[in-house]
Amino acid sequence: MTGNITTKMTRRTLLAGASSALVASRAWAQQPSEVKVGLLVPISGMYARPGTVMRQGAEMAIDHINAQGGIKALGGAKMKLVVLDSGDSTEKAKNAAQRMVAQETDLVAASGAYLSSFTLAVTEVTERANLPVLTLSYSDLITDRGFKYVFQTSATAGSQARQALPQIIKLAETASGKRPKTVAILTDNTAASIASAKAMREGLLTENQLQLIVDETFTPPLADATSLVQKIRTAKPDLLFFLPTVISDAKLLLEKMNEFGLGQGKIPTISFGIAIAEPDMLQTVSAELLQGVLTCVASWGAKGHEALIAELKTRYKEPWMTQNAISTYGDMWVIKDALEKAGKADRVAVAEALRSMDAGPSKYYPLGEIKFDEKGRRIGAGMTIVQWQSGIPVTVFPPQLALAQPFWPKN
Amino acid sequence: MPHLRSLLPAIVFTIAYAVVSIGVTNSYYQLVLTLVPVWAVFGLSWNLLSGYTGLISFGHAAFFGIGAYTTALGQIYFGLSPWLLIPVAAMLGGIAGLLIGFPTFRLQGHYFALAMLAYPLAILYVFEWLGFQEVTLPMKRDAPIAFMQFGDPRVYTLVALAIMLATIVLTRMIEQSRFGMALLAIKQNEAAAEAAGINTLAWKLRAITLSGAIAAAIGAFYAQVLLVVTPQSVFGMLVSAQALTVAMFGGVGTVWGPVIGSVILIPLAEILHAEAGDRFPGIQGVIFGFAIICVILVAPEGLFWKLRDLLRKRFARSTPQTTAAPDVTQPVAATVTPLTVARKRAATSEVVLEVRNLSRSFGGLKAVQDVNFKLHQNEILGIIGPNGAGKTTLFNLLNGFLRPDQGEVLIGGRDMSGQRPHTICEAGIGRTFQVMRPFLRMSILDNVVVGAYVRAKDEDEARKLAADAIARVGLSDVADRVAGELSTKELRLMELARALAGQPRILLLDETLAGLGHGEADEVVAVIQQLARDGITIAIIEHTMQAMVRLVDRFVVLDHGAVITEGEPEAVTRDNRVIEAYLGKKWVAHAAH
Repeated sequence: MTGNITTKMTRRTLLAGASSALVASRAWAQQPSEVKVGLLVPISGMYARPGTVMRQGAEMAIDHINAQGGIKALGGAKMKLVVLDSGDSTEKAKNAAQRMVAQETDLVAASGAYLSSFTLAVTEVTERANLPVLTLSYSDLITDRGFKYVFQTSATAGSQARQALPQIIKLAETASGKRPKTVAILTDNTAASIASAKAMREGLLTENQLQLIVDETFTPPLADATSLVQKIRTAKPDLLFFLPTVISDAKLLLEKMNEFGLGQGKIPTISFGIAIAEPDMLQTVSAELLQGVLTCVASWGAKGHEALIAELKTRYKEPWMTQNAISTYGDMWVIKDALEKAGKADRVAVAEALRSMDAGPSKYYPLGEIKFDEKGRRIGAGMTIVQWQSGIPVTVFPPQLALAQPFWPKN
Repeated sequence: MPHLRSLLPAIVFTIAYAVVSIGVTNSYYQLVLTLVPVWAVFGLSWNLLSGYTGLISFGHAAFFGIGAYTTALGQIYFGLSPWLLIPVAAMLGGIAGLLIGFPTFRLQGHYFALAMLAYPLAILYVFEWLGFQEVTLPMKRDAPIAFMQFGDPRVYTLVALAIMLATIVLTRMIEQSRFGMALLAIKQNEAAAEAAGINTLAWKLRAITLSGAIAAAIGAFYAQVLLVVTPQSVFGMLVSAQALTVAMFGGVGTVWGPVIGSVILIPLAEILHAEAGDRFPGIQGVIFGFAIICVILVAPEGLFWKLRDLLRKRFARSTPQTTAAPDVTQPVAATVTPLTVARKRAATSEVVLEVRNLSRSFGGLKAVQDVNFKLHQNEILGIIGPNGAGKTTLFNLLNGFLRPDQGEVLIGGRDMSGQRPHTICEAGIGRTFQVMRPFLRMSILDNVVVGAYVRAKDEDEARKLAADAIARVGLSDVADRVAGELSTKELRLMELARALAGQPRILLLDETLAGLGHGEADEVVAVIQQLARDGITIAIIEHTMQAMVRLVDRFVVLDHGAVITEGEPEAVTRDNRVIEAYLGKKWVAHAAH
């Protein structure tokens, strides 16, 4: 609507014939009062919960940006969020992406799409439409395809495992006084878990002088965790890497560990990904059982985000700020910066701005800079280690982002 | 080949669809336009197996996924073009169909459906285990056409339409050939189909092979549209369900069903998703499911059949009674003529079927024990006995439904016991059933044609044999009517014609007179007598003796699975053992007078 009025006015001014007026009007036409940004996430189906949290993060960011005067380079234009539902299947995600590029032609950038298989399908569409997309999905594949319009803000799965392992060892050493030697891996066979486990098996463990003594892959959902836990009990590893995606699997295993007397830190349990630190966990697993469990995630509400965490709590009743909320919050700010840099509401220009962006240290993603390499991966992207402490998963690593001191479960 | 006229609607529809889609420039609408024929073809492939044979497959995603992974992995690891990979996928899908069908067709009904459910789920885990959780098709900017990555999304729609038209033509060809007839016969009654000389396993295997090939081909194309393949998106439960949904919504067992279902449901789901999804997340699923439930309640066989029935009714009302009162009395010589002396001699002529020491028990129940009898050329043998005497079991042993525990069935001197029913049918034995299983939606002629294939070399000959058989039972005037509109007597005659169409030397008739009124029974008896005069040997089961006494040359009486007596009607009806078996001991004394 606003676009139409602007065009009419432009025509009228054009008819006036003054060349100076022409230039002015053009500049005006390029400064719409609104800039649209897409958010393509699952808000229906089985992934609706994380998608909704991403939407909350995005809404908060948009409100903050607009309250602080919008996009200054575009005359204070307000950012507007266009939410599209990626549904619960790859096909639906792809259809939604096609709808986004066909129907919302004035989008300048987008963020999405939670699951890495959705992001892969969505970016096949956006790449062809030259629409820049920021994603928190961390499959290496996303930025391995030579695409120019996808920007990965999280450390990739492979890189996360590489960063996490030395930290975990250091943490264990300082807290317990001895260096862990043996590990067990229990992983489900979803894409993200497999990627992390693969990186560990193929070199990372040996690099860190860790010996793999139990290696089990299961298909979610687990019906019974007894045999898995028995293997752990027999082998007595120093560390257990447990990579579930489904909350019920996490619950089953933690409860069984407790039953066998291995729980609550007898064998330190480290996870990857946010499944084990989602608020939903508390609905099925008691805080005592979770106490001390560590997880390595791409991003988490951390030091410096206290106000955001509080706002999320009051505004949306979210008990803490997961990767989904903070990352998507950050995405909106990065898009804002790119718009300022591009100086026009144009997707190709915004993409170019993102590629050449060098906005200094990252505020909302852990470590590194707001700068992307030629693949579209954020330079220096770090990761966070989160630990369940008294019923809340808090960031305990890296130290500059830590909200609490990590403790090593004592046996 | 199907007649061009019957393909005209499909061709017109495809052209109209193509014209509309060429006019659509919005890439999102175009994607939806591409997905409609994709799911229509998948529905058609399901329909080819499940729609026509009635064996519900919950696992068509197995073939779809194999196709999708063929294009994805073929491009990634071998750099092959999808133009080549789609036919390769079809081949692999066909092989998978054969491999899956062979063991699974041992199961029937729900067991078959559940077993089919397992295949895609099992394959899904195999692909996850192989590490193919997420596979993306490499982008080919330099050779977009060779690698089917068209810049213009309309081309995808056109390719999908071409595949759809090809599938429709193929389905029509099958529908109008003995292939389709065989599948329909299997759907209505697999046992009857076997008895009519149809090698049901062979046809079912052909159907699942072809169905698998089509599903894999369209799965391969789908991967090309989606560009990302994950086990869930091609082997998932929802994929299999999609085939069922479009086919059952549109109409099962017709080429139009899946097309109608897809044309309505795919855009509907997308519109709901686009319009309501972001405001009321999840509402789209609720409305979509509700719409499907409503349609299934109103039109349980699908929209196509409902509309066709409605149109038929309206058409029938507007053109008053063109089929008015078919003359039922005219064709049949309704008088029961006494047996000629010449036929009386039949009992002494050549033996065409001999049963020796035939036994079969079910657990402790000896249903047939040590039965011996001979059937002579051109005689009418009545096999009688009270309910539960083992008559139908005996027939089932004769025509191969059951394997005997011991004993022999010699047909023309050759032991055929233990052979499959269709083989025995080929050897010249036709049979009808106690419980009629007409193919209700098919015309009388089509019903009968099914029985003719065992003898006919081609379609024309089959039609001719069928028409002859219909004439012999006196149904020529109503040959074009749908079986569902017939009276019991006409259905009995139609079943008789179906058995006759295979030109049997021996006919086994299982309670052909059951459920008929007095006059009606006489008409059917007259037809049977005429068949005997024409040289066919007949064995007929009946538990009411009345009509039989006038019809048969000789009786074999069974009780508790064993032959208690045999002989000419006059002698048998006075036999005390027979009276005892039928009426109990106390009547024997009465009957003696």
